[in-house]
Amino acid sequence: MRRTLQSNEDLDTIMLSLTTPLLIILALAVIGFFLAKSRALQVAGGDIRGLVSLPSQHALNTVLATIVPPLAAIFLISLYVRITDGTGSWFFTLVVIGLAVTGLALSLISIKQESRARTYAERWILGLLIFASTIAIMTTVGIVFSMLFETFNFFGQYDWRDFFLSTNWSPNFRGNSDLGIIPLLWGTLYISFIALAFAVPIGLFAAIYLSEYAGPRMRSIAKPAIEVLAGIPTIVYGLFALITVGPFLRDYFASPMGFGESASSVMTAGLVMGVMLIPFVSSLSDDIINAVPQAMRDGSLGLGATKSETIRQVVVPAALPGIVGAILLAASRAIGETMIVVLGAGAAARLSLNPFEAMTTVTVKIVSQLTGDTDFASPETLVAFALGLTLFVITLGLNVFALYIVRKYREQYE
Amino acid sequence: MEDMYHADRAMSTQQDTKISAKGVQVYYADNHAIKDVNVEIADKTVTAFIGPSGCGKSTFLRCLNRMNDTIDTCRVEGDILLDGEDIYDPKVDPVQLRAKVGMVFQKPNPFPKSIYDNVAYGPKIHGLARNKAELDEIVEKSLRKAALWNEAKDRLNAPGTGLSGGQQQRLCIARAIATAPEVLLMDEPCSALDPIATAQVEELIDELRQSFSVVIVTHSMQQAARVSQKTAFFHLGNLVEYDDTDKIFTNPEDSRTESYISGRIG
Amino acid sequence: MKTSLLKLDTRTKKRNAAEARFKAYGLTAIIIAMLALLILLTSVLGNGLSSFRQTFITLNVELVEDKLDKSGVRDLEVMSKVTTISYAPLLRDALIAELDERGIENPLSNRDLGDMISKEAAATVRNRVLANLDLVGQTITFDVLASGRIDAFFKGDVTMESAVLDSNTSPEALTIAQQLADVGVIETKFNWNFFVWPDASVQRPEAAGLGVAILGSLYMMIVVLVLALPIGVASSIYLEEFAPKNRWTDLIEVNISNLAAVPSIVYGILGLAIFINFMEFNQSSPLVGGLVLTLMTLPTIIISTRAALKSVPPSIRDAALGVGASKMQSVFHHVLPLAAPGILTGTIIGLAQALGETAPLLLIGMVAFVREYPAAYTPEAGLFGEASTALPVQVFNWTQRSDPAFVERASGAIITLLVFLLIMNAVAIYLRRRFERRW
Repeated sequence: MRRTLQSNEDLDTIMLSLTTPLLIILALAVIGFFLAKSRALQVAGGDIRGLVSLPSQHALNTVLATIVPPLAAIFLISLYVRITDGTGSWFFTLVVIGLAVTGLALSLISIKQESRARTYAERWILGLLIFASTIAIMTTVGIVFSMLFETFNFFGQYDWRDFFLSTNWSPNFRGNSDLGIIPLLWGTLYISFIALAFAVPIGLFAAIYLSEYAGPRMRSIAKPAIEVLAGIPTIVYGLFALITVGPFLRDYFASPMGFGESASSVMTAGLVMGVMLIPFVSSLSDDIINAVPQAMRDGSLGLGATKSETIRQVVVPAALPGIVGAILLAASRAIGETMIVVLGAGAAARLSLNPFEAMTTVTVKIVSQLTGDTDFASPETLVAFALGLTLFVITLGLNVFALYIVRKYREQYE
Repeated sequence: MEDMYHADRAMSTQQDTKISAKGVQVYYADNHAIKDVNVEIADKTVTAFIGPSGCGKSTFLRCLNRMNDTIDTCRVEGDILLDGEDIYDPKVDPVQLRAKVGMVFQKPNPFPKSIYDNVAYGPKIHGLARNKAELDEIVEKSLRKAALWNEAKDRLNAPGTGLSGGQQQRLCIARAIATAPEVLLMDEPCSALDPIATAQVEELIDELRQSFSVVIVTHSMQQAARVSQKTAFFHLGNLVEYDDTDKIFTNPEDSRTESYISGRIG
Repeated sequence: MKTSLLKLDTRTKKRNAAEARFKAYGLTAIIIAMLALLILLTSVLGNGLSSFRQTFITLNVELVEDKLDKSGVRDLEVMSKVTTISYAPLLRDALIAELDERGIENPLSNRDLGDMISKEAAATVRNRVLANLDLVGQTITFDVLASGRIDAFFKGDVTMESAVLDSNTSPEALTIAQQLADVGVIETKFNWNFFVWPDASVQRPEAAGLGVAILGSLYMMIVVLVLALPIGVASSIYLEEFAPKNRWTDLIEVNISNLAAVPSIVYGILGLAIFINFMEFNQSSPLVGGLVLTLMTLPTIIISTRAALKSVPPSIRDAALGVGASKMQSVFHHVLPLAAPGILTGTIIGLAQALGETAPLLLIGMVAFVREYPAAYTPEAGLFGEASTALPVQVFNWTQRSDPAFVERASGAIITLLVFLLIMNAVAIYLRRRFERRW
């Protein structure tokens, strides 16, 4: 499967071939710093008032000119080496060090009384800032490409119609697996539905109560307490589902009512996920409800409406688009949640309506297909990428739509 | 002689006292905002509250339909009687009170609903109409009274927020009178409007006097002079002078009132 | 027609009842949310607090020369070949001697008696001996771990009834343990080793610790801090202060808010495909984990940094520009220092999120069983390149094991994780309170 440390000797050579040039570049930069400073003083004849740019700015420019181009070259070269599956060579090292020396020399030569080192240095910095801001774009591109590529491989080995339309999921390590996504999507949506059915009313009412009714004392206790729920890692919720909620539901509900004997179930995962989503729904709704102008409330109260009439008939309708956006964001969260369902929902792919039965989700299967010891090129492993891409597309759609609604809503009251 | 004459005139306009306030004090936390105000507001009259910013005129107005209840730190002492009944009596439900004492705010604040629903909102929550036809009638009557019917009758289902500023404020007035209040409070209703819209609303206020007792807070002395019959001048939380509008603007008794209307303070 | 204000009409009464109902719904919602938090915390604390205590047996072990060093030359190399199998009987004999001396009845077979002592104990003794060869031949007092079942008995998780059905222990063994505890040979005390020791195999939950996981998480946090903070701040500065308003920057903005909402497991797939398969970094290494978490944390840091930059009023920028500073200088000399507390708070909150994240780490191989403490740098594996695990992943690992003693460990690990998160959030809140400025 994946390449491990032992079989990975070209990594060592690259690592070693990187250390020396990096040290050389660093040394050149340090030398450049002091040289530039003293040279700037020298051209000024000892009086820095004669300079357009300060010595420290010349020094900064020199350091940046020495470091940035070779670092960019290293970045590009290692990408090139990876893509062509080659190894590093002395030629690349020479290029990198050559760039550093050139940058150093050019910037030192350019130090004159009237040279604008500050402008040059700031251009380097602006370049670095722009580069940093493109990392977000590169991440998205990386996500899409990493999954598209392997998904493509997967559909080369497995018919896409079977993937999207088959109602059977039973991977088989000897081949001939049934890899239909429908039972996984069913489990995902069923669990998300229960989670939202639990979290939306509670989160919404909590937000309404806190922003419209609660006194400052109550707010100062309840608000942080609900926010604590948001700060708890999902693995904690997962463990909670596994050791507390699951057995409780089985012993007091499922088993006596004859719904089944499984501790992991759609209900277990759904309820725990619901708890996780409460702060998410309530804090988003809180923001949105607070964005409704006070004048609107006054208008209704001034007509003799009660507080609840004002909330139900004026505030909530006014905030509705925002609240819908918040619910969609929460839905996207629920669909993409992993640890709670891994520990609480079970592993059996099943199309059933019984909420006390164990079912499984897209995310659970991504984890199980990618952490097992299967052949990395087999459809059983590659299907995880197709599942991941499906998940990404669904959540992205929800997010884009939700963020659009929320933004439109905010603009209305700005 | 002169005093006698004034007393006479006061008698004639104050026949029906609608609201009577006695020894009203208002505190915001530690801040004493209204100091011992006594005032009698007559029925079917326009009463104007004037005074410099922060003098307490709006605060006092909001006491009259207990809108101050919505502010946690606000505390009201003294008696305010509406038709002889203490509106701060624990048995009084502010909701019922506000149905009788309607309010129009500084900035037009139509709900994000249709024009029809804006006006129908009050009658609906108070249960004033038994069926749709009656509700339609109330809406039409209110819009006519607010001089908005001709402009709005063809687009009753369009959102109220789509109207112009002056229309929005008239919509808010229509909304307020749809609940058939006895008193209409107006908190600087024209401050967000242009001069033409202001003139329309002022004209409307004068007509409303036929049916309601109107109390209007304004920072424009000209407006007070134009629309009101009685004027109260507030300064630093005190009711300095309360009399017929003509008298206040031509022959004020208190030197502070004179300074204010002649533009030296405020 | 005229109605008195002092009398409530029926309609108002009805409306007030509706009002009270509505308010009650709100209060119920709050109570449910608080109750959920309470149950969650008590469940975790109730299950996990006991993992910080561990049962030890104090034994006087005779380190018999015949068994440990037949040659008698005390040569380290020779003695290293003696495995724990030779040490275990010595411990068992010491236990038998202890029972005899105290006059405690022993109906157990030697094998079952030996099972009362943790399999880890022999290794502990062996390490002590190999560290000091002169101990051979002497009788030394050791505090060794009791087996997981004995430990669970003293924590109340194993009872006489359950022991009847348990193949790993018996009521007789528990009786002996109780008698030993009464005379003070067996003691349950605070267990520092839980935070220090590495993970242990399925047979010895009593020896499993969080050492490797804590170290791995620490390494990853270092990677995240070193990468995400500068990159996040740099891109925020560009977007907030320099970027022109055009399609490209719009795209970046939409992109960042979407990245913040991408499911974390997708980042795991990214890490697997890009960092492990394509870049060929080491699987299970804190470097890859750190890189994945960096990409995940970036949106959080960027969003909070931009909010912090935005809250610095334009008048500060104007003032700097007015005395002839360049745009860049006004940002780095004035805006950035003023925004620093906000940036720091956002960074700590981002780090706390990253610390608790599990799903993506599962995909990049951090579920592996790792007993060796990873080094920060080795020439072979590079910087943070050695296989490691992480705190939340360790929790997941332990939940997957069949022995119920690991559930206790998992809850203990959760408590440890929550304490770290609590500290980080407390620092963030303190910073916000201390340095928050209202303009």
